[in-house]
Amino acid sequence: MKNLKEQQMSFPDLAAWVIDQTKKAGAQDCRVSLSRRRLVEINYRDRKPEVIKEATTKNLYLEVFMNNRFAGQSTPDFRQSTLAGFITGVVDNAKIMEEDPFRTLPDPKYYNGRTNVDLQLSDPDHKLITPENRHEMVKTVEEACLLKGADKVISVEAGEYDESSEEFVKSSNGFEGSSNGTYCQAGASMTARDEGDRRPAGYHYIGCRYKSDLPSLQGIGTEAAIRTLDLMGGKKIATSTVPVILENRGVARVLSGLFGPMSGGAIQQKRSFLADKKGTTIGSKLLTLTDDPYIPRGLGSKYYDGDGFPARKRDFFKEGTVNEFLIDWYYSRKLGWEPTSGSISNLIVPPGKRSVEAIVKDLHRCILITDYIGGNSNSTTGDFSVGIIGKLFEKGRFVQNVAEMNIADNHLKFWKKLVEVANDPWQYSQARLPSLVFEGVVVAGI
Amino acid sequence: MKPIPRRKFIQRSTQIGGSLLLLPALEACKFLGTQSSGNYFLKEFGIDESICRKLLAKALSRGGDFADLYFEYAVSNYLGLEDGKVNQSYGDISLGVGIRTVKGDQIGYGFTQDLNEESMMSAAATASTLCDMNATSVGSSFNSLRTGNYYPVAPDFNGIPGQSKLPLLQDINKKCFALSPEVVKVNAGFMSSAKRMMVVASDGSQAEDLIPSGFIYASVVAERNGKREQSGWNLGGRRDFSFYTDEVVSEVAGKAVNNTLKLFDAIQPPAGEMPVVLGPGVTGILLHEAIGHGMEADFNRKNISTYSTMIGKKVAEPFVNIIDDGTNMNLSGSINVDDEGTPGKKTVLVENGILTSYIHDKISAKHYGVEPTGNGRRQDFQNYPIPRMRNTYMLGGTATPDDVIKEAANGIYVENVSNGQVKIGEGDFAFYVSQGRMIENGKLTSPIKDVNIMGNGPKMLANITLAANDLEMFLGGGGQCGKNGQGVPVSFGMPTCLVKSLTVGGTQQKGGLS
Repeated sequence: MKNLKEQQMSFPDLAAWVIDQTKKAGAQDCRVSLSRRRLVEINYRDRKPEVIKEATTKNLYLEVFMNNRFAGQSTPDFRQSTLAGFITGVVDNAKIMEEDPFRTLPDPKYYNGRTNVDLQLSDPDHKLITPENRHEMVKTVEEACLLKGADKVISVEAGEYDESSEEFVKSSNGFEGSSNGTYCQAGASMTARDEGDRRPAGYHYIGCRYKSDLPSLQGIGTEAAIRTLDLMGGKKIATSTVPVILENRGVARVLSGLFGPMSGGAIQQKRSFLADKKGTTIGSKLLTLTDDPYIPRGLGSKYYDGDGFPARKRDFFKEGTVNEFLIDWYYSRKLGWEPTSGSISNLIVPPGKRSVEAIVKDLHRCILITDYIGGNSNSTTGDFSVGIIGKLFEKGRFVQNVAEMNIADNHLKFWKKLVEVANDPWQYSQARLPSLVFEGVVVAGI
Repeated sequence: MKPIPRRKFIQRSTQIGGSLLLLPALEACKFLGTQSSGNYFLKEFGIDESICRKLLAKALSRGGDFADLYFEYAVSNYLGLEDGKVNQSYGDISLGVGIRTVKGDQIGYGFTQDLNEESMMSAAATASTLCDMNATSVGSSFNSLRTGNYYPVAPDFNGIPGQSKLPLLQDINKKCFALSPEVVKVNAGFMSSAKRMMVVASDGSQAEDLIPSGFIYASVVAERNGKREQSGWNLGGRRDFSFYTDEVVSEVAGKAVNNTLKLFDAIQPPAGEMPVVLGPGVTGILLHEAIGHGMEADFNRKNISTYSTMIGKKVAEPFVNIIDDGTNMNLSGSINVDDEGTPGKKTVLVENGILTSYIHDKISAKHYGVEPTGNGRRQDFQNYPIPRMRNTYMLGGTATPDDVIKEAANGIYVENVSNGQVKIGEGDFAFYVSQGRMIENGKLTSPIKDVNIMGNGPKMLANITLAANDLEMFLGGGGQCGKNGQGVPVSFGMPTCLVKSLTVGGTQQKGGLS
């Protein structure tokens, strides 16, 4: 068994060796990405451990560029004795591809300008988390959920997940980048007794880069129970046209329908309803959407993107007008446009001044949408349709929980219905978005 | 143990194509060994009985009901065509072992990508931390299980080489453009994989399998009067290259173009409750979401499914029979043996309207005191198995499809479905209709598109009032079911049938069409 083990090189040394070997195998250019991740997961149900899982994963991804041909492949096997054959194989795969003049590594001039700011992506205290800490965290969350859920509880599952990761990327034309990260999450899901055979299940999971940034564990467990109890008695109501409020944590479910069509691939492949809309107003004045990679400890914060371009702050929409697309290197060349980066980081919408509670009081009749089910969005036409779960209010007073209902619209019409932004940006996601209020939305039910 | 042989490993990338989430992946299957299942991990990785016994003993060193080892070596490749050229090649490898210790319904789990003794023993030690008792003994001998063969491949099957895929993709591209001058863009792709797995359990059972899978797809954009529409189609399953004939290429291209062009005339239906007729085949996704997940036994033993108290009770009209089947030839959800060592089976979930069985893994089967149904499945060695569906379908009735449409009178007819979701505890579900027709006065009229349909599983099941005699299975290869963060390939089937009432999520209230 000793012959399955080899001395491991450091990431920079291994990357340099792979690039050297790949070029010797006939590639003109190449890029190698190395990553390693350590993860731990603990779940409890009925006050005892249900799952304990722990492991380390690693990956080497090699992209080969030769004579305008391309192949990308990955392996978890870092031993030089097997990598030699792997590299030859990737080069052989690239050789059988058809020529594509746009398949190259980026022009190195686009690698310049990376920030030196410490984005605090890795918690120096992460390694201090012990197995005992993890079990205590889960027990605390579970007990708080059980306490709040009281006699309505059928089942509570509480969990802790944490990971630490490192990556190193190097290209044959001068790009080199590395990044370490940590993540720690705690939460619970609860199933409750309701009318008849209904057993509504709610959940509340919070994740942060630093364990110390997690809110109170008791609070997390309590909130999981509250969100479950808020689903009790959910029923559909008559189909009607009403104002709806998308709760902050779920806004991305609808907003994500805008990102596919903003990509260079969708635009170049004629699958984007936004392709000819740059500079055009498609939403209300309140639709300003910023991509900010520099938020310290942000879950989407980063130094560089997949092409090696330095991350930068930018506005996708300004006061309802399409300002910038997601153009990576490959599709920038196909479109003949300047690249802008093909990936997002942290999404920001400027918060408003009022809370959701205050807004609800001013609306005659409205539905606060707290979760979604199913649905899809057509990137070519902008049509979308998605199931909703939420609460019905009249004159600021809670009337009933709603379920089995649906909203549908076209993005080019829907975002013009945005009439107010709440003051509650959600902190625990890379979509750091506040609740949004839309008027005149058809909510389908009975 | 022998050194791992030279091989090519590839990376998985993701891309949406066709109507379901497709995961284009890998090639380079030529690097897999040439022998069919049987001693593969011994020959290639030196995994012998001695090391298996040692690992199982470690996993049970602090007690537990049983432990198992899941070895996996999967190589996959995706080739993609864009703008007339096959210019994308992505690949991936999955190699490793997952080690599970089970005590009651509790699971300790460790995995490693390194098949050396030190790493594997460490993973076994992680799994053992679940327990704190005296060691449990391991079976005295290992016996290979007898399994079916529901996706036979040639003994020298090594996967589908990239060179073979190129002409098929070029052909799809040509055919799509030839079918209509309105076609402006074609994307085509061919994903294939070959996976070898071996399960060894502490009760002495052992099983190996070689699983081929893949699909070919076309995704088309067409333009008419300044308006664009897109749609697609895919075919595949657990098959080798012999399936991908010129006829298959023509069917994929033809359906992709036809589905796209139909959308130019499509409207969105009115919103609200109405009768819904499910066309045959792919609409079985509704069965999967609305009913199948709720019958997965882990949800029921935890008492969190709406079906938790319904075994032996009437849940549907007497003509309704629902099956979850691992034994269909070459379908995406077929399995010779599941991922914890139970041979593939056919399981009747609803018989003559009565709920007769849940979908079990070993843990839930023990909980209920029944035999495992062969539904313990996992995405890969990094995940432990849980009850999952395979190929789920409803048997046909006696009516004709026209009878069913006539009976609906006014409502919608569902032809093509792209995705769905269910909330287990409430039973509420949704599925997205990418294509369909209005039903007016008992006849099919205007095409419809892009509408989400909502309902409640138990209510929907009780509201199936008529079924036709035209059961059709979905033959696409891109169907993926997600649960607890794990994706597994599945298929489904449905005859034309009438659901008395579901909520249709249109953009206008009844009384006007948008």
